Amino acid sequence: MRPLPSSVAIASRSRQPLRIGMAGAALASPWLVALAMALHAHARRADRARQETTIAVALSQLPSADLAISATSRWLRAPSLEEPGAAFADGPASRDSDPAGGAIAPPTEAWAHEASGLSVTIAITKAAFQP
Amino acid sequence: MNVHLLAFAVGAIGRRKARALAFAVGLTAAVTLLAAVVFLTESLRAESERSHRVEPDLVVQRMTGGRPRTVELADEQLIASIPAVRSVTARVWGYLFLPAIEGNITVVAAAPNDALLHRTPSSIEPSPSTAHAVIAEGRHLRAGEHEVVMGAELARTLGVQPGDELRIADAQRTSHTLKLVGTFHSVLDTFTADVVMCDATDARALLGLSPGQATDLALTLSNENESSVVAREIASRMGSTRVIERHSLARVRHLAFGRRAGLVLAMSLPALLTLLVLAWDRATGFSASERKELAIARAVGWSTSDVLWAKLWETLIVACAATAAGLAFAYLWVFVFGAAGLRQALMGWSVVYPRTPLTPAVTLAQVLGITSAIVGPFAMVSVGAAWRAATRDPVDLLRA
Repeated sequence: MRPLPSSVAIASRSRQPLRIGMAGAALASPWLVALAMALHAHARRADRARQETTIAVALSQLPSADLAISATSRWLRAPSLEEPGAAFADGPASRDSDPAGGAIAPPTEAWAHEASGLSVTIAITKAAFQP
Repeated sequence: MNVHLLAFAVGAIGRRKARALAFAVGLTAAVTLLAAVVFLTESLRAESERSHRVEPDLVVQRMTGGRPRTVELADEQLIASIPAVRSVTARVWGYLFLPAIEGNITVVAAAPNDALLHRTPSSIEPSPSTAHAVIAEGRHLRAGEHEVVMGAELARTLGVQPGDELRIADAQRTSHTLKLVGTFHSVLDTFTADVVMCDATDARALLGLSPGQATDLALTLSNENESSVVAREIASRMGSTRVIERHSLARVRHLAFGRRAGLVLAMSLPALLTLLVLAWDRATGFSASERKELAIARAVGWSTSDVLWAKLWETLIVACAATAAGLAFAYLWVFVFGAAGLRQALMGWSVVYPRTPLTPAVTLAQVLGITSAIVGPFAMVSVGAAWRAATRDPVDLLRA
């Protein structure tokens, strides 16, 4: 390899160590981030592993191990048990037609109105007010 | 390789800050979005699959007109007589819409310990104390005393605490007064966020089931490899039924998360492409000052190889830093800040979202895959553009 042009070499000589350090840091950054992520993930997974017994006991008391992430939609709350018999499902594990996979929100206000018409209510009596 | 070229590349980035910044911001945004979807999906999938081992070998539902209906308790005896069946549990559970939260809660009947702990690790002996281990605040319910326990997130949403009384009306306008005696441990929120557990009598009353009815039957087999044979036998004995095998439950979840992730990525594709095109344009197009710099370098004796290395380092420095920033932002977004915004798209639609921090399940291969998918093409494109410029006559380059 030929030497660098002298003008470039002279101009950048004083800043060269800093620039080389910056370049090295930038090139190594994905690996450093991956390492930090791996360490953090390892700690979090170890925490979760310690909770395995509690989770196992709880799940043995629940109808399904499906995640509680779609409580509003009956056909999504326990997809493993409800597909394909659930409403709006054309096949096992089909894409959610409403609403997780779509852009339109479920009509919860309409459902609330409908439910109110049937006098479905929930009342809470706080323990603090009990004698 | 000459380390001086690294310093030159950093200097070149400094001389064209705005260009490098536009390139880096585009790449960072694209990596953040891509990595966040992968991180969240893998985390949910792992959480879902972690629970697979405690599920029953078979679940039996009655079907009428293509829809599930309740099973009769007499069906329990019909199935229990099949030789390979070790235990049959009639489960009572269902959904109840609460206008107060504009969402459904999942009502589950707590079954006796000896009937339910059939798949828990062998080290755990079924006893009242094991059932109590899942309760963080208060205690577990006692059968016959109209008591409930519920998910911590649901209790927070309703503003109740152990000791409070709830009056819940069913669809037949009958009110049921139940006392909240405990909440599930918050580490279980992913599974119990919307769950209200009571005894079988209260659950049947809330769900409108008669004493002889149950929602479905959960079976444990003496040999789980015989599940297909037993499923066929059940179908022939009971007629219109749906028998779900354990591996089918896992498959549904695995596919569901994959499809959701794919859909989110597909919806984000226009934005992702725009960012990549912007970054691509910045990587391939040479500005007048850059052409001048290359022409001078060539005129004073730089070889084509020097020019290529300098441009390659320039691209790699920016692309690596942007990718690292994107990965870090995505990780923080999903696992520290709870994937605000993205969670709703990938985690269904709920009013009672579990707040439990997700457990990272991303592998090194996935991180390397994302990094190489972003950095690789940009490095190749920048080298191609530099090759075209470096092989031209310096005078032509200055006039271009």
